[in-house]
Amino acid sequence: MADIIQLAERTVKHVMKLGASHCDVLVADSTHIVAEIEKSSIKQASEISDIGVCIRAFRNGCSGFAYSTGHDFDVVKRVARLAFSQASAGTPDPDFRDLPEPRRTVRVSGLFDKKLASLEPDDVVEMAISLSDTASADKRITSVNAGVGVGWGEAALVNSNGIRGFQKMTAFEISAEAVARSGRSMFSAMDGGSTRRLDLGLIDRIGENAKNHALMGLKQARLSTGDLPVIFDPLSIGFILLGAIGGGANADSIQRKRSYLAGRLGQTIGSPGLTITDDPTVAWSSGSYSFDGEGVPAKKKVLMGNGKLRSYLYDSYTSAKDSVENTGNSSRGGALWSFRHQPSISCSNLIVNEGDFRFDEMVRETGEGVFLRTTFDHPNLATGDFSGLMMESYLIHKGELGPSLKQSTIGINLIDLFSRVDMVGKDSVDAFGVMTPPLRISKARVAGSG
Amino acid sequence: MEDLAEVTIDHARKLGAEFADLRLEHEAGTNIVVMDGKTKTMSAQTESGCGIRAFLGGAWGFAVTNTLTRASLRSAAEAAVRMAKAGRSRTKINFGILPSKSVRVRETYRCRERPSSVRLEEKVEFVLSLDRSIRISDPRISSANSRYDDLEVTRTIANSFGTLARIEERWTLAACSAWAKSEGVVQKGHASVGNVGGYELMRRDESAAVGDQAAAQALRLLDSKPAPAGKFTCILDQKMTGLMAHEAFGHACEADAILAGASVLENRVGKRVADESINLYDDPTMKSTFGYFSLDWEGVKARRHSLIENGVLKGFMHNLETGSRMGTASNGSARAQSYNTPPIIRMSNTFIGPGTWKKDELFDEVRKGLLLQGSQYGYVEPAKGQFMFKCDEAYEIRNGELGQRHRDVSLSGVILDVLNNVKAIADDFVLTDPGYCGKGGQIARTTDGGPHICITDVVVGGLS
Repeated sequence: MADIIQLAERTVKHVMKLGASHCDVLVADSTHIVAEIEKSSIKQASEISDIGVCIRAFRNGCSGFAYSTGHDFDVVKRVARLAFSQASAGTPDPDFRDLPEPRRTVRVSGLFDKKLASLEPDDVVEMAISLSDTASADKRITSVNAGVGVGWGEAALVNSNGIRGFQKMTAFEISAEAVARSGRSMFSAMDGGSTRRLDLGLIDRIGENAKNHALMGLKQARLSTGDLPVIFDPLSIGFILLGAIGGGANADSIQRKRSYLAGRLGQTIGSPGLTITDDPTVAWSSGSYSFDGEGVPAKKKVLMGNGKLRSYLYDSYTSAKDSVENTGNSSRGGALWSFRHQPSISCSNLIVNEGDFRFDEMVRETGEGVFLRTTFDHPNLATGDFSGLMMESYLIHKGELGPSLKQSTIGINLIDLFSRVDMVGKDSVDAFGVMTPPLRISKARVAGSG
Repeated sequence: MEDLAEVTIDHARKLGAEFADLRLEHEAGTNIVVMDGKTKTMSAQTESGCGIRAFLGGAWGFAVTNTLTRASLRSAAEAAVRMAKAGRSRTKINFGILPSKSVRVRETYRCRERPSSVRLEEKVEFVLSLDRSIRISDPRISSANSRYDDLEVTRTIANSFGTLARIEERWTLAACSAWAKSEGVVQKGHASVGNVGGYELMRRDESAAVGDQAAAQALRLLDSKPAPAGKFTCILDQKMTGLMAHEAFGHACEADAILAGASVLENRVGKRVADESINLYDDPTMKSTFGYFSLDWEGVKARRHSLIENGVLKGFMHNLETGSRMGTASNGSARAQSYNTPPIIRMSNTFIGPGTWKKDELFDEVRKGLLLQGSQYGYVEPAKGQFMFKCDEAYEIRNGELGQRHRDVSLSGVILDVLNNVKAIADDFVLTDPGYCGKGGQIARTTDGGPHICITDVVVGGLS
């Protein structure tokens, strides 16, 4: 700990001596162990050690960013010159005011798990085998491709205003894809999850989900084009919200009028049952931190409260430009911070408030509609239009889940999606850093090949 | 560094590795982003590191260090062997890596003007000029984003078959995005150029035009309507044809997907998988493209892959492992994003070959349909054979004539259906914009292309 903080402090002094008006320095040191399964057998085990330093230097409001691998101070000095020369070559930016000042620190529990950090390669391989065995526990499963990754690291962040932060973090990531065959029918399904602690229950859940959905999808049907109610699984709505809110509420996009949420602060953009917060203080969540990528203490904020847009996501630059409070949403990338990642605005953990409905109640109540489990499409953030493939989806018929849908797509504007939420589930799952229950919307345009 | 590489490989072999290889890299790069008249980010990267693999009885161990001393490389080799042993104890599939021809070469990819020899201020002025070209193009332009990237890499590749190669690689890329606003409607356009080569590309007219192209597209889309949903006969432009070649067939032709039991093309070599007019290639040897390389990241000489000939599946893209397991040799398709990621099978320049129709003749064939133009992104699930890609803009076609413009059109299909529904292929082949392909958490520089093609029964996703 002391070593990397001292290196960060020494580097800040060096950059300021070069003539920078402000600077911040991140020194990071992390280790990852990953075990990968291919076709239900161990394929590769990896151990990756990653150490480095990044420097952000300012001159006339312009920032220059440079990084290097290693912690050698002679190399760091070269990187400092690079960062300063980058800042000197850019255009002056009068909108830059200052970097954050030191503030009272916030203690966030659940960032580092000693058990996770003490795992050996054999332990990770065994977990991957266990995941594969769970996902392939049916003779119709013909292949499982999966991975288990554990990581631990420490990061020291120091800036020229006196911020001096240190965080130790761990990460546990699991993913599995199961392929099922029966006769001429073939279907595949995936699941994944992440946390900051060793959670063996997560391995079972991911493996079971991948297997069960691969089997569920073997019976297939085609859909005709029309407007139908849609129930979104946490996996699909989590992925959509990550872009729609995580990207759409980015204050930099708002200020440049590139987002469909620009000019809508205070307006109702969703149904009264929809509340979404950004909360970096949730214990063991992958997006949690005690201070953000610029050293601002973590804090929870409501982004959408009962359907009304309450806040955007800010860092020091954009908050100063709008003369509002910094929400502490500067990111250094990923669960374990990386020296390669320039500070940029990002959500931490998005939390969708739970409602009252069990999933089976939502299906029964829907009667006729679609259950969308996964999609990997991105909304057009300029227009808010979303159209994409329903990668894994099921027909809801007579209040029950039916066959999987072949080659079908969904199209809806995000404001319509938020406004048409009429049922909120009660069982949340962390999907892609978004803790959300299933949501149902009253209708969306779905197109199929039927 | 070559000495250090060979000593490290020897060490891994002495520790028990049946096969070992490494990539030792030095990277230096620049990234400049200008937004709305001001530099937004200016960054420089300096990376050094080594990724080493050890293979033992069906399992790989991979270890990475970014401290390039003899001691740390020995330690990384030990970690790689330790990881391989951990995997071998539980692997269910046993195989060996078939020896490949050793390569001893030093090569510098063609580059007339090294990016590092160009002053930073000149690069900044270039990006500012792109930004200006966007903003002055029309008063309806509301925001502009211009970017320049360069990277210089020295990569040493060594393996226990005796390969020792050093590649000097440079590439440059410029990309612009423009936002236009009118009567409350905001639309975005984008364009890019890039290749393996030096800064000379940035001095060409085509690079200077990137900002204008992005702005023109954003302005065009202002009067577009949300896309219709349903099944249509579609004409794909060259960019969309390239995206389809990449997503719909390229990924399914990666042999690691076959061995993972996750490709619908398993057991189909020699069989008809597309209309007989279809020829599909992946060719890393096309110089001055963004997907170019002469030696893959496992030290195997790159070559053109003929994946589909006259509608018949001819083979897959292989690395050392898949070549060994499937009884053929590697055909030089292994690539890694950097030293800290293991080489996996990747595409390079992927395209559908030209047909014999004139472009206008294609339009004459369509009474009611859509022209899909410009590619945003796409993805595929090779196990189900399902793919999706999104175009920049679409136009209604009525009796061969273009009509209403649409935005946010997505196209989905099933691999084994779509290329059987090809009705006609034009003769206007081009290799299109550079891009990045993501797979297994890694990105690779790629280019796609093809001619205009006409396909029936395409499922289009939209809002109306």
